Amino acid sequence: MEKQVNSLLQIENLAKDFGKLRAVDHLSLSLEEGEIRGLIGPNGSGKTTLINLLTGVYKPTSGRVYFSGKRIDRLPPESITREGIMRTFQVARLFGDMTLLENMLIPAFTQGMSKREASHRAKELLDFCVLGGLSHEPARNLSGGQGMLLQIVRGFMRQPLRLYLLDEPFAGVHPTIKDVMIETIQKMNREEGVTFLVVSHELTIVRRLCSRISVLHGGRLISEGTMKEVANDPRVIDSYLGG
Amino acid sequence: MENLNDTSISKLKGVSLLLAGSVVVCLLPFWTGQYYQQIFTIAFYYVVLASSWNLIAGYTGQFSLAHHAFAAIGGYTSALLVTRFGFPMWAGILAALSSSALMGFILGVLCLRMRAIYLAIATWAFAESVRIFISMTYEITRGDLGLAVPKIFLGEGRGVACYYLFLGLAAATVFMISIINRSKMGYYLRAIRDDEMAARVMGIHATRWKIFSFIISSGTAGIAGAFYGHYNGLLTPVMVDFNEMAFIVIMVVIGGIRSIAGPVIGAILIEIFTETFREFGEVRMVVFALAVIAIARLYNEGVVGTVRQFGQWISRRKQARKDVT
Repeated sequence: MEKQVNSLLQIENLAKDFGKLRAVDHLSLSLEEGEIRGLIGPNGSGKTTLINLLTGVYKPTSGRVYFSGKRIDRLPPESITREGIMRTFQVARLFGDMTLLENMLIPAFTQGMSKREASHRAKELLDFCVLGGLSHEPARNLSGGQGMLLQIVRGFMRQPLRLYLLDEPFAGVHPTIKDVMIETIQKMNREEGVTFLVVSHELTIVRRLCSRISVLHGGRLISEGTMKEVANDPRVIDSYLGG
Repeated sequence: MENLNDTSISKLKGVSLLLAGSVVVCLLPFWTGQYYQQIFTIAFYYVVLASSWNLIAGYTGQFSLAHHAFAAIGGYTSALLVTRFGFPMWAGILAALSSSALMGFILGVLCLRMRAIYLAIATWAFAESVRIFISMTYEITRGDLGLAVPKIFLGEGRGVACYYLFLGLAAATVFMISIINRSKMGYYLRAIRDDEMAARVMGIHATRWKIFSFIISSGTAGIAGAFYGHYNGLLTPVMVDFNEMAFIVIMVVIGGIRSIAGPVIGAILIEIFTETFREFGEVRMVVFALAVIAIARLYNEGVVGTVRQFGQWISRRKQARKDVT
């Protein structure tokens, strides 16, 4: 179903119940093409559930999601990916028995890219992220931070990548690798116009990276704006920043 | 440059080993008696079953326990079409491929959303149903008495001809699986095995590829079963006995799951061992079980992995000595 919308991603009244628990509570949110949006909120506020709903991992209880005007909330994960949406997981989910290079080839293959073309792009990206020297190592040998980094760059193999949902990409990662991640995100946003939704508890990084921030609490959107605006919002102070 | 040379040398060694092995296997019937010809013919049959099961269990991570049933479906399809309906043997074998692939598709659609133990139980139940069905439908299959099947190749050179037939079948299966493994499909299957949800968010249609691998795997087992029937001349429900499935699993695990060479080595080793120690009967299964436990506990890459590891250890020692001097 198509709908005339101006935003790249439009979420309308989205809700998700797990039994009696309402994890996402009639949430509406929109993302403009080319922005890097931060999504913050205390633990259990529904951030990861929202990512799972947007990528088809969970089916919503009610509500709608439009991507470029196309309704995507009933599509399976693989079809949503084909629309140009990728995601990462809180704990890096890599194909452990495969090498870094093979991990990179998978998303390129699913869109019909040839092995030669895919390998070329994969090597470029791995080199940029300083993982090039490990490209023939099995992914299971990577450290936590390196795994997180690989998970992020693997998503960039999809072309065109229009929206990238990053779920806690900086958690437990060494500062040097964090810098590489930030640099990579900014480069892909600048050069390839990728839109990002970054879920993170690291407010310093969110401030550095994101122009706008949305704040969730109890599955609801309680505030939205620049970091300064949301930081001064009493509802955010009450729920998240703790005064 | 040195690394490149090392890789080339290692590849060259691999190719030389493969060529030497191929020559030995091709010439084997000329310096062994009929007894060993038969053992190797059966071993090649198991190479087909073990390699095709490795595709679904090793590469895709779907622990199916119905592989022997697909071989039986193929065997009985061809045998019944040839004996009851007068089909030519080649047509019976093609029908065996179709019927087992179709059953693989149906079972795949029904079961492949199941995971781990549930899939194992469901496929085992399917195999048992096939066994009971064959035993009970005496009028059609002659049940436990066995169904006489027209033999492939007749006359004096039959043993050698069958040896090469099954060798060809085994080589074709190994070649096919090695091609699949290097193709995009191979990447998808391994990704699904490692993390199905991550594979799906990468754009892989996991269910479709799992069913596809199930079809290929069961179709291959069906062809093997059909040829086996026409080689052996008799089919009985023993073909669907759980021991058969256990043998396939043992061959793959001992040889080395998730490798191309593993099931080949495993099938040949286990078949030779089984025949050599035939007089010990069921005790052999105890020995195999202990071997599987030992491999699973100590080194789960099987014989092939152990040999590879040993080779790497030797290379490292050589390199260390070179560095010292």
